[in-house]
Amino acid sequence: MILAAERPHSSPSAHAVAETTMPPRWRVVFLNDAVTRMSYAVMVLRKLFGFDETTATKHMLEAHEIGRSVVWVGLRESAEAYVFSLQQWHLSATLEPDETS
Amino acid sequence: MKRVEVRLSIPAVAPLLDLIKSVADELRVNLAVPLALSDADAELASVWSEDLLASQRDDCDRLFSLFDQEFFSEGVVAFDRDNAEPVLRACAALRLRFRATHLEKIPDDTLEALEASSSMGELNETVQKAFACFLFLDELQKIIMKYLDPMAVEEDE
Repeated sequence: MILAAERPHSSPSAHAVAETTMPPRWRVVFLNDAVTRMSYAVMVLRKLFGFDETTATKHMLEAHEIGRSVVWVGLRESAEAYVFSLQQWHLSATLEPDETS
Repeated sequence: MKRVEVRLSIPAVAPLLDLIKSVADELRVNLAVPLALSDADAELASVWSEDLLASQRDDCDRLFSLFDQEFFSEGVVAFDRDNAEPVLRACAALRLRFRATHLEKIPDDTLEALEASSSMGELNETVQKAFACFLFLDELQKIIMKYLDPMAVEEDE
């Protein structure tokens, strides 16, 4: 009975893998549109992501110039919530896997 | 945000409300910004669409509640902490819908130049009215944002 209680529940290698594998990360990509007022986009980015004025403006300008800006990277569930909120404010956004993680 | 009352020109704004309402009706069943999720997220998109449409309908209803008896008698609309953000979102949705429907044939750079000059001489009568709605909704956004963040609108101009 004592021996059985001391035996690990899984092999050491499986335990190590479970501890070191990071969950996949996802990007929230803010997309440009030619209609929305720039100050509106900056206000929404500040409100939803807690950015300061400079950071929000940088993302807005990046989206304006190259069509997209990665505004957040993290777990899928939170990324979905951010994209939903952006859509609720009528800012176009999408999710994509973060290949760098 | 304290309650802010804004006086609008009844003769200028009232004739636009029917067209804005008809576009708002389109937004009851169409998202102003189509979802940009991948095919792998089709199920998610389906669930979200219903929630986003409900939110969009509620925002447009809040916008139209501004144009009540007080507006038609005094020309006054009032914003406060409860309606400012929904009305701001409704204006954004309506402008996007106007651009995608009534103003779709106007190139981006032409529209930008028209917005800067507020000139409508080159447009036919139907498009002129849609463009006037587009400008009015922008003005409404500017007014609300000025009260939410006085610095924000100046940066656009």
